[in-house]
Amino acid sequence: METTNPGAQPAAAPAAGETLLRVENLVKHFEIRGGLLGISTIGAVRAVDGVSFSVRKGETLGLVGESGCGKTTLGKVILRLIPATSGKVTVKNRVLFDIPTEEERKAGRRATVLDAGEMKKARRDLQVVFQDPYASLNPRMSVGEIVGEGPLVHGLTDKGKREDLVRELLARVGLNQSHIHRYPHEFSGGQRQRIGIARALALNPDFVVCDEPVSALDVSIQSQVLNLLDDLQQELGLTYLFIAHNLAVVEHISDRVGVMYLGMMVELAEVDDIYVRPAHPYTVALLSAVPDPNPRNRRRRVILKGDIPSPANPPSGCRFHTRCWLRERLGNPEQCTTVVPEFREIQPGHAVACHFAEEVTPDTIGAAARTGGPVAS
Amino acid sequence: MEGTQVTRIPGGAIPAVDEVDLTPVRTYWQLVRQRFVRHRLAVIAFFLMAILVTAAIAIPLLSGDAWKETSLERINQPASLTAPLGYDSLGINTFARLMKGLQTSLFIGFAAVLVIVFIGVTVGSTAGYFGGWVDNALMRVVDIVLSIPTFFLILMLVAFWGTGNVWVIIIAIGLTGWTTAARLVRAEFLSLREADFVQAAKALGAGDRRVVMRHMIPSAMAPVVVAATLGIADSVVVEAALSFLGFGITPPEASLGNMLTKAQDYFYRNPLLAWYPGITLVLVVLAASFLGDGLRDALDPRQRVETN
Repeated sequence: METTNPGAQPAAAPAAGETLLRVENLVKHFEIRGGLLGISTIGAVRAVDGVSFSVRKGETLGLVGESGCGKTTLGKVILRLIPATSGKVTVKNRVLFDIPTEEERKAGRRATVLDAGEMKKARRDLQVVFQDPYASLNPRMSVGEIVGEGPLVHGLTDKGKREDLVRELLARVGLNQSHIHRYPHEFSGGQRQRIGIARALALNPDFVVCDEPVSALDVSIQSQVLNLLDDLQQELGLTYLFIAHNLAVVEHISDRVGVMYLGMMVELAEVDDIYVRPAHPYTVALLSAVPDPNPRNRRRRVILKGDIPSPANPPSGCRFHTRCWLRERLGNPEQCTTVVPEFREIQPGHAVACHFAEEVTPDTIGAAARTGGPVAS
Repeated sequence: MEGTQVTRIPGGAIPAVDEVDLTPVRTYWQLVRQRFVRHRLAVIAFFLMAILVTAAIAIPLLSGDAWKETSLERINQPASLTAPLGYDSLGINTFARLMKGLQTSLFIGFAAVLVIVFIGVTVGSTAGYFGGWVDNALMRVVDIVLSIPTFFLILMLVAFWGTGNVWVIIIAIGLTGWTTAARLVRAEFLSLREADFVQAAKALGAGDRRVVMRHMIPSAMAPVVVAATLGIADSVVVEAALSFLGFGITPPEASLGNMLTKAQDYFYRNPLLAWYPGITLVLVVLAASFLGDGLRDALDPRQRVETN
């Protein structure tokens, strides 16, 4: 693995920046309804189950994990596009919501949720870029209307001024200003994603949730859009929560990386640290799946057994224990199946949720990894 | 700047526009028109409908009261220049009466569809947008309305409120026919609610009303427009059936349905009297149906149009 990190922005390097986003014990359960009238709750998909982290001003926090691990849901809950079950989110010292858990509610703690008017103001600081540039733009609105909608909603009613603003934004994201009257279907995927970025920037936000912004694009276009996001971050001092499943992309763009598994954060560390010294068995397996462009390199992969368990019925104790290679090596300690591991710092700035994180060493990884050429599965 | 260039991904250095695109600007409706024109039957149907509507408006205007003027001298007179379809057993100009009947039928058809679309979109969008118990309650109402035999409900409503009144017929058809539109709009709304562009509008801070009116209803309307066009055909047929049974438009007012009823009496002597309103009715229904089909294809923004 390359040691130079192309994603480290000089501007974001100081670690002691102020906290822009703070997420505390965020939980989102989707209720499964059933019964005769479809009213009674018969279970819940635990999409996000107690996630805490904070993002510093000007940095990029990458969020990775398999499909269905809850990373997109997490983004949408932070944006209040779907209501949280419980937990607290603070953006720029403004509490978007603070919803108590069932037990806390019984103990008398009340929920505080920003009202509609205040939330609308808060949305100026909190924007989103979606994954699919084909689905995220209204096909019946022109580029000018799409990009100008945010300013319009927030009170910029002067048509001329709005158009000037839109033209400026189009130029900023690298689109031709004369495209202002065109419709989304007339653009390529990369161009559409630029329109989506311009729309997010129209409100001059501080914080942008990028929900897999390049996954739907051609590889050749991906780098352009990533570089655009990178440039915009430096010019405008943006802070990103960058959700992705492509580990190479995350390594490129992030300052810190969080790894999610079944709705929980299992590891969070500086990007150099986590890619070189992963401390959670799941991160180890995930990183070993990154394709190596050199076919002559002998790949050492840690192959996980089985499928990701259902988030409606997650395993007890450590959620990863059903597939954990380390647990097997350590002779299946009981702790793994009974005690939910604490999300603890094993060294400053490197947190991990594993009882035996200290056992994750090059030796144990090497022993677990299969060596060889192309690996099936 | 040099320093940051080094850290870039190779190949990503091209700064701006990734493609030069020289196609002319085309709005959504221009595309719709282009797709519609490709559908030959629909174009024919469009012109047929245009002719029928124009004739139904213009001819009764030009011919004044000819559609109800009886005359003993003209009874069963053959066709002439002023009466292309001859005269009936009361000496009424058949063509003038046919056009007046077409006017009544089309008016009822279009007006009933407006009622249907209004109720259907309101109920369907409310159910689909809010979901949960609102959705459940409204959809059970839809089920109840659907479970009632429509035609008999209309018969009952018309009998209750008075026969022969155009507005009663329109309201009766509207009150029973909105369920399909409501279901279509609800289904569209349920999927649109999760659509990224709707979520993006919410993330921008757009309120419920703006999200529904600006983003969701325009996108949900395509199937409704299609259903409405097909609904015109249905409504015209229902009106004809009501009038045929004597519950709808009653003579001396003219409608395609009561012209058919009257033609029944002379079926063996002058079967053409039944053919005229019958064929007109078929033409209206066919035109509306093909128009609906054409619109279905044309209104789908995912369908591409070749540029040339």
